[in-house]
Amino acid sequence: MSHESTGFLNRCVDTDGHDVGALLSDLVATAGAKAAESSRLRRSSLEALDSDLEQAAQAISERFRAGACLYTFGNGASSTDAACVAALFARSPGGALLPARCLVADPAVLTATGNGVGNELAFSRQLVAFAHAGDIAMGYSTSGNSENVIRAFQETRHRGLLTVGFAGCDGGRLAGSGVLDHCFVVRSHSIHRIQEAQAALSHRLWATVQQRLTPDGERPAVGQREPAADQDLAEPEEVR
Amino acid sequence: MARSDAFEARESERVSTYRLLATDDALSQDLLGPDAADLAAASLAMARRFASGATLWCAAPSWPWHAQHVAVDFVHPVIAGERSLPAVMVSGDHLWESLRPIARAGDMLLVVSRSDEPSVAGLRQRSKAWGVLTVWIGTGPRPEPGSADFVLWVDDDETVSSYGGRFALLYHLLSELTHVCLENPGLLEAEQAVCGDEVCITCSDEGCLGEVVAIRADGRAQVRTPAGLEAVDTTLIDRAHPGDLVLIHAGTAVTLVEGSPR
Repeated sequence: MSHESTGFLNRCVDTDGHDVGALLSDLVATAGAKAAESSRLRRSSLEALDSDLEQAAQAISERFRAGACLYTFGNGASSTDAACVAALFARSPGGALLPARCLVADPAVLTATGNGVGNELAFSRQLVAFAHAGDIAMGYSTSGNSENVIRAFQETRHRGLLTVGFAGCDGGRLAGSGVLDHCFVVRSHSIHRIQEAQAALSHRLWATVQQRLTPDGERPAVGQREPAADQDLAEPEEVR
Repeated sequence: MARSDAFEARESERVSTYRLLATDDALSQDLLGPDAADLAAASLAMARRFASGATLWCAAPSWPWHAQHVAVDFVHPVIAGERSLPAVMVSGDHLWESLRPIARAGDMLLVVSRSDEPSVAGLRQRSKAWGVLTVWIGTGPRPEPGSADFVLWVDDDETVSSYGGRFALLYHLLSELTHVCLENPGLLEAEQAVCGDEVCITCSDEGCLGEVVAIRADGRAQVRTPAGLEAVDTTLIDRAHPGDLVLIHAGTAVTLVEGSPR
C-alpha cells in the first residue's frame, strides 16, 4: 500500500498537527488490533470446524457429481458474501466451474416476493420455483436469526436439498432449528469479523470440494504430491 | 501425530496443491506494518469528505458484490447508532460515463479491482479531473504512482484476495476507522479549504487535469476541473472536443491527455 497524493487536492491541509497525529496513531493501533483479531478468529474457526468442513465438502462434491446446482442467499452484506461464494463456485479462475447461483441477483424477483408475500419468503419462494431434490442450499446470517434464511432452509430440507448454513454469535435460531445438514458457527459478536471468518470458511469449503472433484485430489498418491508437502503427509490423513 | 499436526499437514497439502489458502498470519502482519498508516490516512480523508457532505461511489467491475458490500456497510452500519453515510454502487459497462453527471467535486470513489481492469483507468482519470478523491483496493501488479489518492494493495492470489476475505478485511477496516474519525469532529475541517487560492497556484504550476464540457462561441473550451467550470484557451492543442481530458496550465490547455474518447 502506498499513499499517492494528487498534490493539488491535499496540499492545503492545515490543522492542529498534534491532534491529527494522535488520531492517526490511534487508528494505526486500532487497525492492527482488528486485523490481528480477524486473523485469530479465521484461524480458530477453520481449526474448530475442520472436520465439519471435510464432511460438508464430501457431501457437496457428491451432489455436484450427481448434477446438483448450488443456491446461495443472505441479507444485506451477507447477500454480497453469498454472491461472492456463488461466483467462487461458478466462475473463479482457480478451479472447475460448477453450477451455482445467488438468489439476490434479481431485484425484480426480490421486490416482487417482498411486496407480494413478504420478505420472509424471499428465498424460499425462489427455491420452490428453481430447486430440485439433490440441489444444495447455502445461506448466510451473521446473527443466525434471519427469518427468510431459516424459512428457506425449512422449505428446502424436506424437498431433499442439502442444507448448509453459516451463522455467527451463538448460532442463533439457525443453529438450533434442526433444518441444517451442515452448520458453521463463527463464535464472535463482531459482524465484520464474523463475515471475514465466514469468507475463509466458505473459501476452504470450495477449495476442499475442488480437491475432491479433481481426479487425483480425493486420495492423492504420495508420489504425486508437491515435494514440500511429502514429509508432512507421510501420516494417514484422518488422524484426530 | 497430534491433532494440530494433522491439521497443519492437511494445510500444507492444500496450500501446495492449490496455492489458495494463504496463511492468515500474513493478513495481520501486512496491516501491522507501515501499510496501516495508509489505511488510517485514507480513513481520515474519507471522514473529512463525508463530514462536508460528500458521497462515496463504489465500483468493482469484475466483483460487483464488493462494491455492494462497501455501500451497504456505510448506508446501514453494522453497529447500531452509527450514522448512515451516503455510499452508492456504480455498475454497468460505462462506469465513468454513468458517474459523470452525478458525481460532484469533493466526492469519493472507491474501486475494488485488479490493476489491469480495463474500465478502471478511465474512471480513475476522470475522477481526478472532477475533483473526486480516489481509493483503490486491488490485487495484481502494483499500479503506477499517482494512479489513485490512496492505494491499498493486496499481494495475493485473486482467489484469496477477492474470494477469501482479504478485500473484505480492508474495506471493513476502512469503514470502521472512518466512523472513528467521525467521532472527532474537531479534526475533520482541514480539507474544506481544498483548491483555495494557494492550492490553485500550486496546481497551475503542476498542471491541472480537466474535462472539456463544451466549446464556447469565442473558441475557448469550457472545462470541468476540481475547482469548477473554467474557460480555457485551447490554441496550444490541435483542437478540443467535448469529453477530452486536457492538462491545464495558467488558463491554457497545454496537453491533450491520452485516453480521451472520440
